[in-house]
Amino acid sequence: MSTGLDVFVNHTVSIITSDGRNFIGTLKGFDQTINIILDESHERVYSTTTGVEQVMLGLHIIRGDNVAIIGLIDEELDNRLNLANIKAEPLNSVVH
Amino acid sequence: MLPLSLLRTAQNHPMLVELKNGETYNGHLVSCDNWMNINLREVICTSRDGDKFWRMPECYIRGSTIKYLRIPDEVIDMVKEETAVKNRGRDNKGAKSQRGRPATRGNFGGRGGKTGNIGGRNLNPKPKQK
Repeated sequence: MSTGLDVFVNHTVSIITSDGRNFIGTLKGFDQTINIILDESHERVYSTTTGVEQVMLGLHIIRGDNVAIIGLIDEELDNRLNLANIKAEPLNSVVH
Repeated sequence: MLPLSLLRTAQNHPMLVELKNGETYNGHLVSCDNWMNINLREVICTSRDGDKFWRMPECYIRGSTIKYLRIPDEVIDMVKEETAVKNRGRDNKGAKSQRGRPATRGNFGGRGGKTGNIGGRNLNPKPKQK
């Protein structure tokens, strides 16, 4: 049975972790515990005062325990965004 | 590609490990296992707020406490080579056993059933086999 995540492989995804951070990158692989390989990744840091700040990070293994949401990014739409103009409250961490 | 294969490939490379409590550990990966437990050498530990630092010659981190690992970009290209070599090995083995199999299968008559038992007895009189 497929987990449904295999269709995301080699696509740009957005991952929200349980500490409220947002990682964007290419999904290169995953396993049964949703550990994730994210290539050419960056973090988007949201704030209400300045625009979205992008922090280049590179190759990551994110442990499945911390993954809250994985979403497929529409690259064409994403490229049209002007992140410098987007202001938003940062996410809180997950409350267990 | 599996995350743990990538981690295995990253052995002897520098990496940054962030724990769930926010502490980060910078060091060279010595070894890892299937639970993501890892051994680091020449480690610099940074506190959650990034204001305190500790140096230690080595440390062992329980996999379940890890949030993420940041590894050098070039490591992902090295994994591809490794899996390619492994697959080549598997293919060879497959070809060999397929060549051998049909004859043996026929003689032993497969699993269970009357014909199978008879065939097995005739061709293989070892008492251990029964």
